[in-house]
Amino acid sequence: MKPNPANPASVPPVKVVLVEDKPGMRESWVKLIDSLAGFSCVQACASGEEAVRVIPALNPDVVLMDIFLPRMSGIECTARLKLQLPKIQILILTAVEDDELVFMALEAGADGYLLKRTKPEDLRAAMLDVLGGGAPMTSEIARRVVESFRRASKQQKPEVHLSAREEEVLILLSKGYSNKEIASQLAIGTETVGSHLKHIYEKMHVRSRAEAVARYMTSKT
Amino acid sequence: MLRREQKSFFNFFLRRGFKWGGLVLLSLVLLSPVRLFADEPGANAAVDWLLEATNHLGKWIWDTNTFDKQTCRLWKAFEIPAGAKISQATLLITVDNGYTLFLDGQEIGRGSDWRTVTEYDVTQLLAPGRHTVAVEGFNDRLEGGLIFSLEIQLADQRVVEVLSDDTWSVVPNPLRHWASRKTPLPDWHRAIVIGSMHHHPWENWPVGFTVGLPLRPVIVHFWQAGWFQLALVTVCLLALLFSVWLMTQLTAQSAAQDFLQVERARIARDIHDDLGAQLTQLVLLGEVAQREEPADSPAQIKFNQLCAQARELSHAMDEVVWAVNSRRDTLRDFVSYVCKYAQIFLNPTPIRCRLDVEPEIPAAAFDLPVRRNLFLAVKEALNNAAKYSEAGELFLRIYRKDHKLVVAVEDNGNGFNPAQASAERNGLANMAQRMSEIGGACELSSQPGSGCLVVFTVPLNRTSRRVWRSWRRRRLPDELATAKTGGNGPAEANLRNG
Repeated sequence: MKPNPANPASVPPVKVVLVEDKPGMRESWVKLIDSLAGFSCVQACASGEEAVRVIPALNPDVVLMDIFLPRMSGIECTARLKLQLPKIQILILTAVEDDELVFMALEAGADGYLLKRTKPEDLRAAMLDVLGGGAPMTSEIARRVVESFRRASKQQKPEVHLSAREEEVLILLSKGYSNKEIASQLAIGTETVGSHLKHIYEKMHVRSRAEAVARYMTSKT
Repeated sequence: MLRREQKSFFNFFLRRGFKWGGLVLLSLVLLSPVRLFADEPGANAAVDWLLEATNHLGKWIWDTNTFDKQTCRLWKAFEIPAGAKISQATLLITVDNGYTLFLDGQEIGRGSDWRTVTEYDVTQLLAPGRHTVAVEGFNDRLEGGLIFSLEIQLADQRVVEVLSDDTWSVVPNPLRHWASRKTPLPDWHRAIVIGSMHHHPWENWPVGFTVGLPLRPVIVHFWQAGWFQLALVTVCLLALLFSVWLMTQLTAQSAAQDFLQVERARIARDIHDDLGAQLTQLVLLGEVAQREEPADSPAQIKFNQLCAQARELSHAMDEVVWAVNSRRDTLRDFVSYVCKYAQIFLNPTPIRCRLDVEPEIPAAAFDLPVRRNLFLAVKEALNNAAKYSEAGELFLRIYRKDHKLVVAVEDNGNGFNPAQASAERNGLANMAQRMSEIGGACELSSQPGSGCLVVFTVPLNRTSRRVWRSWRRRRLPDELATAKTGGNGPAEANLRNG
């Protein structure tokens, strides 16, 4: 039963869990999320460890994750949560865009990232986007994703290869085309573009997990 | 018996070798093997010649007083006429009991057998001009005396003769270099003549003749000369000192460079951690406050403005942090930053931003002045396009070509005539200035109706730090791993400047 956030009055609100270590920020975020129509912040965790402990029981729809957390980083927390709850949607919150970190978070299983100074409307839109099966991706990240898949293509199993269409979408995205423009260029629906991106993310996660396993195996032997 | 003989023979050699070691060494250069004429079959002829030759010898001379174990230094200066060519110069000497002979301060021979006269051929040691001959004589017991002659035959048949007589000086106090002095000192006194050749007690002596091979001047090559060796050692030492100094400087410089890098990263981190975090919090607080006010109330509008301002400030601060942060001194980072900036900048405008970026841009070093100036120049070009071009699309192309980074900004707008455009309008002067500061170039081409193309080119030649840089970049995941487990350790702090 998927909640329909478009009709907040008729359905229960989207359950959001926030992971943020600074108390002041945490309080503001909670208020802000609660103020968004159709969203409710059910829990605010102060650390990654707490998040890993409480989130599976809460089973929220969306997790907003600060990237810099003491001890367990937001990236590691994301990876752990995704391993336990593959369907959970995790959005990374970052103060400054750092492609390196964002890309690592996405590889770890995050479904997108947001700047902390993002307007509340955009935050809401991004959460709706991931809930609706889309996957926001900037052209910078798209370029990196293409590069990473090309680098890894030789050793990987075919199921984690990008399809020709997926690569097409990524390349257009990396050239600065919007999802809508890509849709019209490729004569497909905007939602299809979104689902392509979703698949790309999933393949990336599978691949990074496979890589993690491979790394683990080789280091053991 | 045999043993004793062997032993004494050995001892003799050892003693002699020890005593005369210096002389043997000298004779390698100066002296020839010495032979005794008297021992040879033609001894009679030699004695005849001796008798004839001794007629040319001077008189026995010595110091005023004679005593046992006496050292007597005798000195004489003589002149060879200028322009003369020396055909033969023969020096005969003997001292009862022994002597060391110096010519022009250079030791040329020693002798301890006063019963034979030694002949030295010094032809090649002499040249026109003033010379000195000095003899350090030693009297073991009873009478002492020097008998000496130097006959210099010149090519024009003239003969310069220096004989031992009372014109010789006795040097009472042996100062250093007394033998090489060209003039006598006031305290030197005249030698006294004891008698002629066969005066008592030398009636029957000398009896033999020792002839040396002609003496040749020691050619001291410049590299053998003391001053040269000293200079060489000095130069080497100076070079060593200089390189040590240079190394210290280099180390200091690279340490300073590293310090600068670390400091820049720290400043970036501080700005980001302190200012940035609080600014983000301000935005959040503003948003929350805005939501608590009734819609379109004056307070809500004010809060809204406050949030917008804070966001803008946060954005501007990001730019400062980006410029300051040494971790961002890479080509790859620059490219992604410029692309992101262009997209965000053009987002509110009707211009669609298209990116055409070379894949796999390396994380090569791209230093602050270069990336900052290039970024500001590109910003200027984007600004121009947004303001004047009325274009629908703008292409930002970034690629490397011939060790140069090329950034091209091309729009499909209405263009203009560069010749007629005012400098303020296209900001060309500004862009060109920025590019020349970093050794790059800026080319603008446009025509009315056919868009505008600005091409920036900067050299990429700093290869030395690339390896290190890329290594550091590659290490990032490790650092993150440390950050995950290490809590608020330095690695995490490092990450925070992102």
